[in-house]
Amino acid sequence: MKMTKIYEGSHQWIMFGRDENKPANIIDSNQYAVRTANRCLLLDPGGSELFAPMMAAVLHHAPVEHITDLFASHQDPDVISSLGLWDQALSGAKLHAPAIWEGFLRHFGCESIEYVPIPDNGGTIKLESVELQLIPAHYLHSSGNFHVYDPQAKILMSGDVGTALEAPGAPMFVENFDLHIEKMRYFHQRWMPSNQAKRAWIERVRSLEIDILAPQHGRVFKGNDVKRFLDWFDALQVGIAV
Amino acid sequence: MNNQTKSQFVAVASITSELSAVMVVAKEISLAAANAKAIAFRAGDKAKGFQPITDFINELAKETIELVTSINVYALSLYQLTVNEFRKTNAYNKFELVAKMSKDAPYAQSMQQPLEHAKLSMELCQRQFKRDVKQLLDQLEAVMHHARAARVIAANSRIEASQAGEYLQSLQAVAESVDKAAHTIHDNVQRCRIALSLYRNS
Ligand SMILES: [Fe+2]
Ligand SMILES: [Fe+2]
Repeated sequence: MKMTKIYEGSHQWIMFGRDENKPANIIDSNQYAVRTANRCLLLDPGGSELFAPMMAAVLHHAPVEHITDLFASHQDPDVISSLGLWDQALSGAKLHAPAIWEGFLRHFGCESIEYVPIPDNGGTIKLESVELQLIPAHYLHSSGNFHVYDPQAKILMSGDVGTALEAPGAPMFVENFDLHIEKMRYFHQRWMPSNQAKRAWIERVRSLEIDILAPQHGRVFKGNDVKRFLDWFDALQVGIAV
Repeated sequence: MNNQTKSQFVAVASITSELSAVMVVAKEISLAAANAKAIAFRAGDKAKGFQPITDFINELAKETIELVTSINVYALSLYQLTVNEFRKTNAYNKFELVAKMSKDAPYAQSMQQPLEHAKLSMELCQRQFKRDVKQLLDQLEAVMHHARAARVIAANSRIEASQAGEYLQSLQAVAESVDKAAHTIHDNVQRCRIALSLYRNS
């Protein structure tokens, strides 16, 4: 599992991904950790296949007992099917996840972890002195979906928005936006169901100051590529399967 | 999922299906008993020896149904225990893998406590499973007793039926159906016991 520090300030953002040992037939995913002095939040901690390499990688940055919070942007297996294992590894931890998915996510096993339902209009996660905003991203692609915005680090963790489907071992950052477009187009057209939802999200996100857009698959967008991505996504017709 | 767990799931699930078959047959016996009672009543003196037997058959069927109902509750909890054990074993194996993979990580040591905890709760589950299997086997043994008793009664019924003149055939049919039902129950329960006995001491 590759680890990349994408922000270092009063707290840290660490990106995990490109796991060399992952079975070839499951989709590669990026996991993120927000680390403060005594706590650690894992964003979209991943599928159950990924639990062991992910946990082992996190141990490079935080002891188990510091992992106090998990966040699931939505209910997909690549996002959170590892829940039942975290549930048995952590004590007194919380899972922040969309309220409407509670009854569904509990199928993965959520007995010791406290499910903190995120209402449709969003909320916050407080991690010591860091306050993260939970930005509604419903229907992008899931009907109950949130992104995480860190106003201090100016990072938006954007779930499946910004996903690129690429060959294993691809670089962590977008290097040439124009070349990157083809790796994103089909995914966004096919997985994202609603032009209206996309519009609302772009409007909301344009008002945020974002240095880094960090999706759950593919590469991270930095600097001007963030705006390029928003413009490109804005113009794209989605929901093409009907 | 390894083969051991797979067959444990199958064994526990098969109990429920075997038991529901036993339930159907026990209900048949109780129907046969009601039928026999009516015939014996009509036959009057000719079937005098048969009348107490019908009550006995009925009683036996009722007890079997009650027993199977309570065993079903047990079987369900055994299934939940199997699911639990599977979850715990899976977690323990993954935690061991974490420990192996994180050898060079500065916080590797912090995984020891969850690992220990997972091991203990996995073993607790295994012990509880064995205990419950033993209890279930005892209860199944009780059903076997009932089935054997039913076969003895069926044999007696046949003798009594032979005294019943023109009612001989219908009473013999009753004895026949009780015997067949008892046989089926015996076989089904025996299959449950064989499937389960693998896990008593494993
Ligand atoms: Fe998804
Ligand atoms: Fe995804």
